[in-house]
Amino acid sequence: MTRYWSEGGGVVPARRPGRVLLLVTTQSYRAGAFVEAAQRLGAPLTVGSERPQALAGFNPDGHLTLDFSAPEVAVEVIRRFAARRPLAAILAADDEGVLTAALAARALGLPHHPPEAVAAARDKYRMRRALAAAGIPTPRFHRFALDADPLALAREVEFPCVLKPLGLAASRGVIRADDPEQFAAAFRRVAALLGRPEVARPGDELARHLLVESYLPGVEVAVEGLVTGGVPRVLAVFDKPDPLEGPFFEETIYVTPSRLPAAARAAVEGRAAAGVAALGLSDGPVHAELRHHAGEAHLLEIAPRSIGGLCSRVLRFGEGRSLEEVILGAALGLESGGLERERAAAGVMMIPIPRAGTLAGVRGVEAARAVAGIEDVRITIPVGDELVPLPEGARYLGFIFARGGAPEQVEAALREAHRWLEFDIQPGPGAAPGVRADAGAERRW
Amino acid sequence: MVTITEKASEKIRELIAAEKREGLALRFGIGGRGLNGFTYVLRFVPLSERGAGDTAIDAGGFTVLVDAESATHLAGASVDYVETAQGGGFKIENPNPLWTDPRARAVQEVIDRDINPAVASHGGFVTLLDVRDDVAYIALGGGCQGCGMVDVTLKQGIEVRIREAVPGIREIVDSTDHAGGSNPYYRPSKGGQSPLA
Repeated sequence: MTRYWSEGGGVVPARRPGRVLLLVTTQSYRAGAFVEAAQRLGAPLTVGSERPQALAGFNPDGHLTLDFSAPEVAVEVIRRFAARRPLAAILAADDEGVLTAALAARALGLPHHPPEAVAAARDKYRMRRALAAAGIPTPRFHRFALDADPLALAREVEFPCVLKPLGLAASRGVIRADDPEQFAAAFRRVAALLGRPEVARPGDELARHLLVESYLPGVEVAVEGLVTGGVPRVLAVFDKPDPLEGPFFEETIYVTPSRLPAAARAAVEGRAAAGVAALGLSDGPVHAELRHHAGEAHLLEIAPRSIGGLCSRVLRFGEGRSLEEVILGAALGLESGGLERERAAAGVMMIPIPRAGTLAGVRGVEAARAVAGIEDVRITIPVGDELVPLPEGARYLGFIFARGGAPEQVEAALREAHRWLEFDIQPGPGAAPGVRADAGAERRW
Repeated sequence: MVTITEKASEKIRELIAAEKREGLALRFGIGGRGLNGFTYVLRFVPLSERGAGDTAIDAGGFTVLVDAESATHLAGASVDYVETAQGGGFKIENPNPLWTDPRARAVQEVIDRDINPAVASHGGFVTLLDVRDDVAYIALGGGCQGCGMVDVTLKQGIEVRIREAVPGIREIVDSTDHAGGSNPYYRPSKGGQSPLA
């Protein structure tokens, strides 16, 4: 059990941990949770991001500016920094920095997932190949060059299928196609998305191809895990009770614990662990997505990072530790305070973007917060901003957090809270051609 | 303790008459602190709302109520009514310093001298709301309000600088409604996609 002492308002381990380097982009949802976790653990923190921070001059040891698109250069900057301020752990909050974190950790002899495993997990095609080679059930898959003729490629594909960018996260650019015409349209849409300068860098290999895989009907779950010395431990299994059948795959509700029968849950956990081993992930967080299809747990994705957005807020471990405290504690080699998730059920809704346009107002937030079981409602897109739905969109409209005695109660609370929210979406720059953005408020569900 | 000019009195009496309610008083107090100094409360309340700690001032035809906390910051203040090309309004002159607590004054100085000039480069600003015991309460505005990196700015910048410069301060509490931010400098996106990608 971790022993604590108090300093500066935080609760920190008896032995002061070493310095943590947290790699986080300036567009991350995850910075706050990791910064708070480091403070609670009493770990000195350096934040590495791609742009200089406004107050870096007052705390030079607390900030590093790193180019995540040039990991070797970033590693050299980290190595020089570590010579002056030794690092005890390096961790990336998001996909963007995870390869840099892996390379820097190897250079400094710190525990982390190996760079090869991270690189494989960051490329959906390489990941599929590694999983298939290990005999893990996954969808059948092809990789196609984006400059190919989609109508010709459609002849090689079984329908229904799902088209995916190789390197994007959170269902961005993921489209189901049921016939050659839909395939060609989806192909061109993914290609257009990957051609945007804000999405892919020039010369980005992952932006030259896309993945096409068979569509597997079935319920989907997510596994949050932590790997230490190659040994994976499941921290939480989330059900995704809203059907994810396409044409786009917008994730909404996550509820834990899973209501899958024990045997099915065990199969899911076992498959996620097999995926960890197949990719060679060894030290750090993992987030896996699986689908139950034809009596088998199929591994769709496994990422060498923790859950995205603000979703981690619903997880509590041991004596109330956050997921980020658990992850940082493991990276620092601190005594575990227990990895058992609390007994209560918990859930989060990633509030879907109803349609393209400009967010003109949000009503009902207080009423949604007042629903029994709801802990908080956070709207994360400011009024006046453009709303871009999937598959092109890259932002969450907001999050609803709930806790309760049973998963059913949590799910019902999330749905009830969402019913109270009204989004006033006006036609605006977010309205893509062919997408009608009606004026006026919309109440969903 | 508070002077209401004749022009202001006339306007206030006019506004009270327009309310068409008997027994109204003017509540005058400190609402908070902002970038440009104190913010003030000026509103009509029933005279029966006078609290035990309130000071009542006869302003000639109406009563001004000042709560005890505000009274310490309003000694010698005056309320005038001025007409401009844009319309009329009450103008408050207050000779009192923004903070009397030496720690609060020291924190304000750090914010004015070090922090605000730096966060201004991101369109942001920091306001000191209060200092109680060893805790400083602040609010972030402009580009900082709702910014994805606000916790880094707060914990790795503002907190470090204030605690270093004002050793009596142990904790900085951010009281900002970040959901109300309309122009955050960094906007979070899925996968932490870098804006430089």
